[in-house]
Amino acid sequence: MSLLRNLASGIRALFRKEQVDRELDEELRAYQEMAAEEKMRDGMSRKEALRAVRLEQGSLELTKQVVRSGGWESLVEACWQDLRFGLRTLRKSPGFTAVAVLTLALGIGANTAVFSVVNALVLRPLPVERPSELAFLENARYGPSQSFPNYKDLRDRNRTFTGLVGYRIAPMELETKRGAERIWGYLATGNYFNVLGIKPALGRFFDQNDDVHPGASPYAVLSYGAWQSRFGGDPFIVGKTIRLNRLPYTVLGVAPPDFHGTELFYWPEVWVPMMMQPRIESSNWLDDHGSSNTFVLGRLKPNVSPAEAEADLNALAAEMIRQFPDQNDGLHFKLAKPGLIGNMIGGPAKAFALGVLTLASLVLLAACTNLASMFTARATDRQRELAVRLAIGAGRSRVVRQVLTETLVLSLVGGAAGYLLASFISSALSRMRAPMDFPVQFNITVDWRVFLFALAGSIVAAGLAGFAPAWRASRTDPNAAVRGASATLGHSRLAFRDVLVVIQVALCFVLVSASFLSLRGLQHALQMNLGFQPQHVSTAAVELNLAGYSEERGRVFQRQALEAIQQLPGVQSAAYSNSVPLSIDQSHTDVFPDKTDLQPSDRITVVYYQVSPGFFETIGTPLLAGRDFTWRDDAKSPRVAIVNLAFAKRIFRADSPIGKTFPGWGNPVEVVGVVGDGKYETLTESQQPVLFWPILQSYNSTTTIEVKSSLPSTQMVSEVRQAITKLDPDLPLYSVGSLEQMLDSAFLPTRTAAIALSAFGVLAIMLAATGINGLVAYAVSRRTHEIGIRMAIGARPTEVLLLVLGKTAALLAFGSLVGLTLALAAGQVIASIVYETQPHDPLIMVSVWIGVALLGLLASWAPARRALRVDPMVALRYE
Amino acid sequence: MPDKSSDLVQGTLDMLVLKTLALESMHGYGISVRIEQMSKGVFRPNAGSLFLAIQRLHRDGLIDGEWKTSENQRRAKYYALTEKGRKRLNNETREWGRQAAAIARILEAS
Repeated sequence: MSLLRNLASGIRALFRKEQVDRELDEELRAYQEMAAEEKMRDGMSRKEALRAVRLEQGSLELTKQVVRSGGWESLVEACWQDLRFGLRTLRKSPGFTAVAVLTLALGIGANTAVFSVVNALVLRPLPVERPSELAFLENARYGPSQSFPNYKDLRDRNRTFTGLVGYRIAPMELETKRGAERIWGYLATGNYFNVLGIKPALGRFFDQNDDVHPGASPYAVLSYGAWQSRFGGDPFIVGKTIRLNRLPYTVLGVAPPDFHGTELFYWPEVWVPMMMQPRIESSNWLDDHGSSNTFVLGRLKPNVSPAEAEADLNALAAEMIRQFPDQNDGLHFKLAKPGLIGNMIGGPAKAFALGVLTLASLVLLAACTNLASMFTARATDRQRELAVRLAIGAGRSRVVRQVLTETLVLSLVGGAAGYLLASFISSALSRMRAPMDFPVQFNITVDWRVFLFALAGSIVAAGLAGFAPAWRASRTDPNAAVRGASATLGHSRLAFRDVLVVIQVALCFVLVSASFLSLRGLQHALQMNLGFQPQHVSTAAVELNLAGYSEERGRVFQRQALEAIQQLPGVQSAAYSNSVPLSIDQSHTDVFPDKTDLQPSDRITVVYYQVSPGFFETIGTPLLAGRDFTWRDDAKSPRVAIVNLAFAKRIFRADSPIGKTFPGWGNPVEVVGVVGDGKYETLTESQQPVLFWPILQSYNSTTTIEVKSSLPSTQMVSEVRQAITKLDPDLPLYSVGSLEQMLDSAFLPTRTAAIALSAFGVLAIMLAATGINGLVAYAVSRRTHEIGIRMAIGARPTEVLLLVLGKTAALLAFGSLVGLTLALAAGQVIASIVYETQPHDPLIMVSVWIGVALLGLLASWAPARRALRVDPMVALRYE
Repeated sequence: MPDKSSDLVQGTLDMLVLKTLALESMHGYGISVRIEQMSKGVFRPNAGSLFLAIQRLHRDGLIDGEWKTSENQRRAKYYALTEKGRKRLNNETREWGRQAAAIARILEAS
């Protein structure tokens, strides 16, 4: 009751300020009048009486102030006043405000975005029940994939997991009204959804009982996205039939919207029971100990540590090696974090994320340093103003509060701008689809905790930097400060600012040289020898097995398609193969050197391609010796192969092994040609031995057609599409486009790194520029008086410049030196992320040094000019 | 002239104002004069403290204010005790008596 009344009265005082004020005024005036009247009755004149009352009671205004400050509303009012005053002063120095807000926005925004990306990439747990219990199985030899029989052994015999699931990323062909479309999905064991603990959005998931006999479980679970986009969110989808690879599958249910399978970057559209593998893929490997095709993910039993689980698995591995020594040789299991296919992607992704995080932290540090030095300078400059306010009666706490309010206002505005920037960047990244035939997508959302962390960091930095000088000012003798004596004060504080500038210049140097290094690395990478010439080559692929072609019909189709395409106008040459270098789809096989008494350790893993005649000519790989395949290298003729130079050196220890043989599937294979080395799986790989089989001797249903033509790729591609459609109107094409476009995926990591580093470099430059600018501006304003005197007694402009810039130059030089040392160390790290980077590129180091020097000059230009324009008379009148 | 109000024990001014108003409703200056008279000149609250106390009591709902014309034809705000204020005064008076007696006993003990 009384609280309500108190509140109501306070609010009335706030909003009906004038009326309340008038009443108080009237009341107090009445009080004074009455007191005066009494004194007049004692014989004083009216004037004397009023004066006596004032002497006794203090001035009317002061009394009013005292009464007003009694209510809580006065605090609100004071803060409101501070806020308005803060905004006004910020408006009066637009340069300072703009730079501070920009610094905050960049520092907070960039960091929040980067942290959000890293979160989406590495840190975010899978959206399943108790994700911390999940572990991904890796084995020492085949990396992320296990053979399906081994998976079943592990699943049934382990004692440390509540469940082990097996799954595989698999493309499928979905029949739609527009014809067949290639979609990406998962083959998953029956326990997949149970072990992960996912609840369906609609219908049910398949379970262990639905996944028993090969080919007998034609069921499908749709992703929420696929349900919405392909089936219009049909509420009666459950029980309906869809056709995958031309066979009917019953839709059992729909996955929840936030579940995108068990890889963070891969968004599948459909899940099919693993037992359907022989119907979805071309060959049946469910019983093959020698094909490692299954990803295995397990949920640890409560209170079982990963180390215990590894020991358990490796005890099983020892038994498995005894049972199948050939296929399981060297089997050894390790657990990895789920979501990134173990260490295959997880390793580099983590390294990259860590690198970017480090840079982001450096940028945040630079931003905080910048803010700190800006606020220090500003607060020191304002000592005179603060002193005036103290002198006319402002409370000490009020003055400090005022400075802090201003800092807070600035931080909040900057923070809001930063948030906008961060959400813009992350939504752009989320929308970005990597240019490849694979549903790579990340779910990037702005992380609130990170944003608040960055915001708090900058508020603290700015607050501390602003508070210290304000506090000092509030303790100085107002009298001295008002007279301008502050010019002799706080020389020790300058040292702190100097340290800040050195840190900033050093950070700038590191970040800029890092981005230069990576850009130069990218440039090198784009010019390096790929072993083929992607210019003017277009590709298109079809998957004949999925489309129901037998091998016999497939061979006929491949030959017909090639002939049709070769006759298209503008085609210089054309060929087909199972894959092309640097695409996602690469195959490996084991080869033994040409010698007797072979050991398992002699096995060399090589990349292989199955290619038609004309392949090397079309993609521009030089034939160094021997001959190309011909159409007579078919099943009836002796087995032949073409190898690359690295293969020749590694297996035959000779540059020209033409005519030599090596064992392959029981028959000796004769080498008929040698081609130049290139890049096959990644840009960063070391030279790999590569083997090319004639496609007529080893059929593959995956058919990539390569066409070399002087016509533009878009035109060529549409003609190829027409030619294929004429042969089979239902056959979907994928990986369609120029070879250069397709290579984008190979260049993606390097490009991403280069873009990220350049962005940080630009940030660092901006921060350093504002920092140096602030330093010089501060030096000039502190020494206006001194400069005036010097000019009055005849100092030349150059001497004045030296006076102002001398220290800046020294700090710049020192900061660059520190930065150079750091940059050389950082170069090593960058070289490990960005390919073709020379960590000690002298050209870059020198140009960055010159750049920083120029930047310093540029940043000090405006304040230095101000120093030259100092009017001695004005400066001296300051006194 | 020394400010005698500073001699006032913290928080007792509220009680004195309530006591003053218990006799009859009165304006600010009247309260001040009455306190001085009743204390025989020992207490003489200054305007700041007095009006602060009045504002506090008013907000707590212990007194009500009303603009009236004084005997000298001057407009002034007259304050009167509310029912709540009367209860509070009784409580505080009792409590004060208890405490004062206790303090006196302590000081007299030898």
